[in-house]
Amino acid sequence: MKRIAPIDIAGGILVVAFLALLPMFAASNYLTGVLTVCVIYGIWASSWDFMSGLTGRENFGHSLFIGAGAYTAGFLSSIWSANPWVSLPLGVVIAIAFSLLVGFPTLRLRGPYFALAMLSASAILQRLCLIFWEYTGGEEGIYGLDPLMKNPLHYYWFVLAILAVTVITLTLLARSHWGLLLRAIRGDEATCQAAGINVTFYKIVSLMISAGFAGLGGALYAHYQLQVSPPLFSVVVSITVIIMVYVGGIGSIYGAAVAAILLTLLTEMLRGFGEYRLWIYTLTLMLILFFLPNGLIAPLWRRLTERLR
Amino acid sequence: MTDPLEVHDLLKVDGVTKRFGGLTAVKNASFTLKKGEFTGILGPNGAGKTTLFNILTGFMQPTSGTIHFNGDLVRELAPYKVVNRGMARTFQLTRPFVGMNLLENVLVACMSPRASEDKNKEERASYLLAQVGLGGRDKEPVETLPYGDLRRLEIARALATRPDLLLLDEPFAGLGSSEIEQLAQLIRRLHREENLTILLIEHKLREFMALVSRVIAMNFGEIIAVGPPEEIVKNEKVIEAYIGKTEEAHASA
Repeated sequence: MKRIAPIDIAGGILVVAFLALLPMFAASNYLTGVLTVCVIYGIWASSWDFMSGLTGRENFGHSLFIGAGAYTAGFLSSIWSANPWVSLPLGVVIAIAFSLLVGFPTLRLRGPYFALAMLSASAILQRLCLIFWEYTGGEEGIYGLDPLMKNPLHYYWFVLAILAVTVITLTLLARSHWGLLLRAIRGDEATCQAAGINVTFYKIVSLMISAGFAGLGGALYAHYQLQVSPPLFSVVVSITVIIMVYVGGIGSIYGAAVAAILLTLLTEMLRGFGEYRLWIYTLTLMLILFFLPNGLIAPLWRRLTERLR
Repeated sequence: MTDPLEVHDLLKVDGVTKRFGGLTAVKNASFTLKKGEFTGILGPNGAGKTTLFNILTGFMQPTSGTIHFNGDLVRELAPYKVVNRGMARTFQLTRPFVGMNLLENVLVACMSPRASEDKNKEERASYLLAQVGLGGRDKEPVETLPYGDLRRLEIARALATRPDLLLLDEPFAGLGSSEIEQLAQLIRRLHREENLTILLIEHKLREFMALVSRVIAMNFGEIIAVGPPEEIVKNEKVIEAYIGKTEEAHASA
């Protein structure tokens, strides 16, 4: 197990404290809402980074797990009127079930099969939501979910705490012997085999972990929006998450979370620019990825704190 | 029922054939290895040596034939399962985990189920690095390692899985003569002290003959001779495979 440097712990505490206090300075439900979405994207991005960033097997359908968690919450809370708190564990379980469904047949293979299978699986689920509109509400989706908490600020803090737990858990896993094996799989699968490592097993379990956290994020999102709809399964969501990870610095986990928060904030702040919003956003991303192929957040943090390690 | 005489056969290869389309890379190969033996597979480039290794270790499936290891059929087992039965290999072109240091490279193999009894993985990996002559360099990045040291690292990684049989694929290829001598000493010591059975591929005759006690000579996918080194060097088929026919033979042909 690699030790986490004190400076990283201090940085993490500072960022979480700052995020927690931010709505206090400019008390508005709008800002709290935006921050809640930012933090949920943080959960999605860091969970993507754990599997794909470490093993190098790019998952182009993370929205499958996000949507699975969200729709689980939708069905439970709105249609079956279950206690909203049941959504979180069940969202995790259903997302993991989907990861097994796609992971088992495709993670044995090398090459692009896994990426393509994930992409198609998420697209298929989006279509299925429309086809079985009697049950899923079709385009409209499912409305009227119960909130987990009445006070939006309390909910924001709750989601922020979950992001912190997610990042800490995934970072500890990534720095354990387990994480070492995942990085080895990224390096050379044949060598892993020669080292007696069951590569498929480790890939599937890491996908399950990744899916579980994504599903949790999906359920949290559903209980924030109080509705779910098919675009949650869309490729756009998956690609957005992947871009966030690349901007954060792939394989770093905390970088993905911070980048997700910043990029979500950026899209909100650019609302004032109206139609030019997407231009500015896309151009910023292209410049970052072109000039900083290793990402922005994690490399920057490492450089800033180099002397303190 | 196992034949009592065969109990000591660690590896039993029977009629193994591998075809790639029209090419037969390994043709009806049969041989056995006894526990503690140090055997070499000799043959010119393209004789099917590495293909045979890939088949033994599960990286390729034979077209026909059977392989028994420790009395169990290992054909059609995934490579990692073969390793966990006690058959470890090194690669001719070394394949380290780039972006990791030496210790981490060996640690990966210390995580294999076969090494589950080594509780302190770091300590074990560090010990193995010292065993192969890379002691005290745990934190060095693997990228800067010269070829000879990469070969040692490969051996340390293989040893981490606690093998009964170690398969070395051309460990001396691309090394200078002083590096070869040191590596040969290491391999000899492992064979003697670690109670390892070793099967080694090489086409450098001199180093090879000094190491092994038995030679399996291959040419065009076929085993053409088996015997102690001093007999093999006199074997006509082997000489022909290596040096070609004598001038008279050419003249008369």
